[in-house]
Amino acid sequence: MIEVIKPGLETSVQDWPGRIGFWNQGFPPSGPMDSWSFRLANVLVGNAPGAAGLECQYLGPTLRFDADAVIAVTGADMAPKLDGVAVPLWESVAVRAGQTLALGPAKLGTRAYIAFSGGIASEPWLGSRSTFHQAGVGGIGGSALKAGHQIPLGAGTGVAGRRVKPEARPPIHGDKRWDVEVCAGPNDDWIDAAGQERFLSADWKLSGKSNRTGFRLEGPEWTFAEKAYNKGPEHGSLPSNIIDHGYPLGAINLAGQTPIILVSDGPSMGGFINPYTVPQAAFWKLGQSRPGDIYHFRLVSVERAQAMAREMKALCTEASII
Amino acid sequence: MTIYAQPRFLPGGDRYMLIEFGNEMNLELNFMAQGLAGAIRENKVGGVIETAPCFASMLVHYEPDDISFADLQTEMQRLIGSLGPSDDIELPSRLFYFPTVYCDPWTKAAIDDYTAKINPEKEYDPDFVARLNGLSGAEQLVRVHSGTEYWVASLGFWPGLPFMMALDPRCVITAPKYNPPRTWTPQGTVGMGGASTAIYPVATPGGYQIFARIPVPIWDPKQRFDVFADSICLFRPGDRVKFVPVSVAEFEEIERQVADGSYTYNVVEYQKFSVAQYKHWVSRLDRTKRF
Repeated sequence: MIEVIKPGLETSVQDWPGRIGFWNQGFPPSGPMDSWSFRLANVLVGNAPGAAGLECQYLGPTLRFDADAVIAVTGADMAPKLDGVAVPLWESVAVRAGQTLALGPAKLGTRAYIAFSGGIASEPWLGSRSTFHQAGVGGIGGSALKAGHQIPLGAGTGVAGRRVKPEARPPIHGDKRWDVEVCAGPNDDWIDAAGQERFLSADWKLSGKSNRTGFRLEGPEWTFAEKAYNKGPEHGSLPSNIIDHGYPLGAINLAGQTPIILVSDGPSMGGFINPYTVPQAAFWKLGQSRPGDIYHFRLVSVERAQAMAREMKALCTEASII
Repeated sequence: MTIYAQPRFLPGGDRYMLIEFGNEMNLELNFMAQGLAGAIRENKVGGVIETAPCFASMLVHYEPDDISFADLQTEMQRLIGSLGPSDDIELPSRLFYFPTVYCDPWTKAAIDDYTAKINPEKEYDPDFVARLNGLSGAEQLVRVHSGTEYWVASLGFWPGLPFMMALDPRCVITAPKYNPPRTWTPQGTVGMGGASTAIYPVATPGGYQIFARIPVPIWDPKQRFDVFADSICLFRPGDRVKFVPVSVAEFEEIERQVADGSYTYNVVEYQKFSVAQYKHWVSRLDRTKRF
């Protein structure tokens, strides 16, 4: 068991790929924003890549262990310390009963992940331990961590001193500019040629009004193709309105003139077009960026996006451990 | 406006396909989407993780390691071709009656907040929707909106949120969506966007025009009421809903019953919905008339 001394800023239990199979009732999968870092943390401590761990956003938690454990911290650098002594990132570490792990504010990147050998053994909900705290379900008591929460751990076989090869880690950087892959569609034909060109050439600033539901972007005005104007009234009156339809996770959803990337806790349906979709393999960049950062979108084919996901999956294995 | 001769198969990133059957809202297209979702379930199509049918389209979530986009498209075309005529469809359909306060103080507060903070030009939603649909005012909007049963075409946006269509064509109204969206909407709010009516299961952001509220939960993670025994979401596609106008005092009384667990859901469960009979009824209506 682990006791939460300080929760940090919205730290939550997540697993991967999360709550799958309930999109048609409106339940998002949830799960870690940067599943690359998350999966590697689990591999380090001998877990299946998707076992439940913690996602720490911006400011990490302080946790006290009541039993020996093996842990790994990956993703953003929150300068983790064990009883005041610095803990290396991307490496499995032994923790003794009674010790306290403290993470601070993110110095590089935005989201850190803590995996525990044996995984977090909280009660699954709809087949997943992922927290969807906006709806009060999953995780520990349906919420982000709170001081005093007890986190149960499973039995693990992890060993300390294992490291992730540097070349297998996501290249988290601090230059505040991110090249993010996108696939065209499903509704790119609602945008005129100039609008498509503008989307791919412009700088898009990540807005502060962003969370695990959606990442709002600030940038130039959108312009639309003829079909966005010449349509039946049941679509709605705005050019970006369409008859309500299912939303792909990662869709760049155009709410009026505001593009919102629908992320892990996002809505499953609605009445706005999705001209582009961020593929799974680019989500880690969203997870490691922060408001004020600039995105530049780069078009890739569906096949290339699928190959990227395969390459990432191959990296999140024992082959990346030294 | 058309039902497409051939559905459109649109990619959504590395693991989604959106299948569009047409670009209008009619029950026929929703029957097609529901029918395809059922056929995928029965045929256990390899590589399909889940589907989300909606009014005129269906989203497919697939695993590209198991099936390519091109092969998935071929398989979907085959299944769509095998669907029988929708007239043959007859399905059990529950009917839910909801006490409803129209032009209520709670949605008004949300609209006022939006007007004050985000868009001072925003016209009060009931007046706006009435005007756009050529109705005499908010009173006729209430009469028309509550004058029909609604068909639950799909669930989404938020867990358990029903996307519904008016079954009586004389009560079909349309409304644009908010631009930009609202940052909050009270739980139980009834609203419209396009030709779709929805109920907000919890307080969330939203883009629909809002003009009514129900005191009855439509999702319940604690499953306190027996209607939630099978699922924490009240509705299934193919259910029907009828809004019954009540006063604020009645609303508050029912709210108290919900809080203490004594409320009884008003559900009719003995009926079947026959597509052929429905079409026959609609064909004899004078669609130019309103209530």
